[in-house]
Amino acid sequence: MADTKEDKKLNKKEITYNKLKGLGEDIISDVVKNNIPTFKVPSRGTSNIVYDDAKRYYVLGDRYGKRSLGNVKQIKKIGQMVYVSNFCKDLVQREKTATLREMYYVSEGWGIGFDNQQESNIVGEDIEVTLGMTREDLGLMPEEDGASVYGDIVLQEDDIEINALKSGKSGYTISPTIDEVEFVDHDVKRVIAVETMGMFHRMVQEEAYKKFDTLIVGLKGQAARATRRFLKRVNEELNLPVYVCNDGDPWGFHIAMVIISGSAKLAHVNHDLATPNAKFLGVTATDIVNYELPTDPLKDIDVLRLKELAKDPRYRDENWQIEIKKMLKIGKKAEQQSFSKYGLEYVVDTYFPEKLESME
Amino acid sequence: MSQQASELFDNFQELTPSEFFRKNKQMLGYSGKIRSLTMVFHELITNSFDAAEEAGILPEIKINLQKIEKDHYLLLHSDNGPGIPEDFIMKVYCTMFAGSKFRNVQSRGQQGLGCSGCVLLSQMTTGEPAKVISGYEEGDELKGVKLKFKMDVKKNKGLLLKREDADVKQTGVHLELQFKDVSYSLAEQGAYEYIRRTMMGNPHAKITFKDPTGHKYVFKRAAEIVPVLPKEVLPHPKGVTSDDLIFMAKHTDKRRFRSLLSSSLSRMSNKRLAEIEEITGIDLNKRPKDMKWDEAEKIVYAFGKMDFMAPPTSGLIPIGSKQVEEGMKAILNPEFISATTRKPVTYRGGVAFIIEAAIAYGGDSGRLVNEQRKAEIMRFANRVPLSFDQGSCAITEALKSIDWKRYGLRDLENTPATIFVNIISTQVPYLSTGKQSVAPEPEIIHEVRQASMKVARKLQKYIRAKKAAKEEALRSKIFEDYVPLIIKEAASLAEVEAPAYQEVLAKVTRRSLAELLGEDPDKVDEIEEELDASIDESTSKSQAKTIDDFEDTDNVESKTDNVDFEE
Repeated sequence: MADTKEDKKLNKKEITYNKLKGLGEDIISDVVKNNIPTFKVPSRGTSNIVYDDAKRYYVLGDRYGKRSLGNVKQIKKIGQMVYVSNFCKDLVQREKTATLREMYYVSEGWGIGFDNQQESNIVGEDIEVTLGMTREDLGLMPEEDGASVYGDIVLQEDDIEINALKSGKSGYTISPTIDEVEFVDHDVKRVIAVETMGMFHRMVQEEAYKKFDTLIVGLKGQAARATRRFLKRVNEELNLPVYVCNDGDPWGFHIAMVIISGSAKLAHVNHDLATPNAKFLGVTATDIVNYELPTDPLKDIDVLRLKELAKDPRYRDENWQIEIKKMLKIGKKAEQQSFSKYGLEYVVDTYFPEKLESME
Repeated sequence: MSQQASELFDNFQELTPSEFFRKNKQMLGYSGKIRSLTMVFHELITNSFDAAEEAGILPEIKINLQKIEKDHYLLLHSDNGPGIPEDFIMKVYCTMFAGSKFRNVQSRGQQGLGCSGCVLLSQMTTGEPAKVISGYEEGDELKGVKLKFKMDVKKNKGLLLKREDADVKQTGVHLELQFKDVSYSLAEQGAYEYIRRTMMGNPHAKITFKDPTGHKYVFKRAAEIVPVLPKEVLPHPKGVTSDDLIFMAKHTDKRRFRSLLSSSLSRMSNKRLAEIEEITGIDLNKRPKDMKWDEAEKIVYAFGKMDFMAPPTSGLIPIGSKQVEEGMKAILNPEFISATTRKPVTYRGGVAFIIEAAIAYGGDSGRLVNEQRKAEIMRFANRVPLSFDQGSCAITEALKSIDWKRYGLRDLENTPATIFVNIISTQVPYLSTGKQSVAPEPEIIHEVRQASMKVARKLQKYIRAKKAAKEEALRSKIFEDYVPLIIKEAASLAEVEAPAYQEVLAKVTRRSLAELLGEDPDKVDEIEEELDASIDESTSKSQAKTIDDFEDTDNVESKTDNVDFEE
């Protein structure tokens, strides 16, 4: 089994390397034929981001823009893409990673550099969509770490084995290079991701991992790419159901939705990030009513956001529509931690068992 | 107690014109130290020009301004005109309202006040006599005379102090006057600027000017043709007043109203005369000497109701756009210049005029203010620069009403440009006796706008072309800088040797030029590509879309910022 994984990894490295090299070959072959080099970059315009009902996440449509070396507005971007590609090819070859910020500083020494980091981020995305590879494949890592994981899972990073149950109270921190990490063993039946580290620690203290045979994932707000990648992998590689529990407000809803159906902005890599099988556990508007949770009134911006969500194709599901309408109707929202009204243990002792039962 | 009328009238006196203007010199434009000196230059230069042109001579003037002490100058002014016969010298310089210009003719001066006004100012401020040397031809003989005289203000004539024969080599007048309470300035309204502008309106003239520091400026001739002399034209009915009619009636040798009108006014056909008879009910066979005021009024009223052909325009001689351009080129050395002369039209229904406009850009155009060149407006009336009262002038008003941004001049004020406008007319409608601003007649404003907009369009074209050329150079540089780098880097990416790329570089540069010129860049290489047959059909379509796409992308990003708050 280890062998095949090693092969797969090698294979991916090879594919990435060849794709990057191919970009250079296309340009050179045009030049040799005395043609002006051009290549297609899939369009990331709103009109080209479509929701794929079958896949249940956003994907890029088939529109693309053409970049030509003969266009004064595009030539610099082409130059930047070639330099970044070369940089990435080197990273892949040496099995190293760099952050976008590091690349930005390295680019100071290039013939064609960037005016600001925003520009280098965009070029990074351009290469992602053009080659159909993720940033991580290219060796470009996000700055920030992913979420915390607590529970009985054993991972292997390089030569080190890590048991997420024995990594301290804060658990294992998902590395930006999560794709390099192997899942060696586990003894859990599900994964529960929670929005706040407050809830994460509550669950650790109440031994929720034992009670529910679960991994506990502390998202720390909007889930980082590495976290989303991790959730997708445990869902698909280990066949574990994933539940997401957030605050009961439009922002909490959407943190869950981005995990489930991906974001519009990253439509080109959603196939590696979205976990369409993941489920939203709560806090729902129904929960707010049923558990008589302490609430705050919805602010204008909350109402606006809920109305936007209602129109979003990702929320077309009937249950979502009901929950959104209900929240608008009661005009109230509640935080995860509001369950402590009934005592600190209540959420783990009562809420989670009831919800899990109803969902499984 | 009360005084008798006869006592009150003890002090009743008649003022001669000279006395009147002695008390009201500002009416001649002599107010303020700088302005006074500019006005002196104006009067003397104008007279010299008119005299030379009437004699068919290319005018050449030498002016030497010497500073005696603060605000006290000696002015030496000589021209190459036909000179003044001895008997007329003191009439020209000492008698106000004497002259040869009381006709309906396009000329610089019109009132016979200019020279005598200068002498008056000199005498009033210094008490010094005027000195004139005149060289003139009498028969075939060149005569020269030198006179020293004062003005007898009470009698409105000259008082000769000294006369001697003078040895002259050519015709012309040399005049020496002293002035106090005047001041030489390089300001926009000063004497130097006046000369500079004069040269723009009169490119056929030559002026040598030695300023008070001894610096000698030579303004060379830019055109070698003496302007055609304007012809006197009969006044147009729409341009006369009742008083004019009475004056004509008193001084005519015609025997009937009918013949008076047809001989004194233009466009007066028999048909029109019959029409006048019908409208006014006046018997046009009456004797002109018997014309009454109310009859004159009725006739003028009828003129207003009637349709006449536009006045003849043969009396108007514009400078000509070519001459304007040459004159401005000589002085401003501009990067670009365009001038235009409009066709004659009329204002108030009966006074013909022509507008000429030019715009010079770059070089020494514009006014230097704190090291920066700013746009300046130069107004002229019958070639004479108008230096004062800019704000109330029709020319200024018309220019201000133009939306210069439409002509690519985003910030006109800070553009190195000189805008020249000249109005040519037998009767320029001045706003005041100083003759420094033109009345805002709607037709004049319209014409100034049209003429200025025409030259502005040409300037816009030039600026655009220049910008395009600059852009092209910039683009070429981008390609020259980037193409080798990109190909080298792409070769390293492909792990091959960098191929020769000269042809591709030439191609992209050509393509970019086509794009800049508004041609379809994809057409340029079409033939070659058809031969290569390697570019897919959608090239031009997707090319056109590309830029939109990228802009679109930015929108998406800002939009999705709302949708997803991630990373």
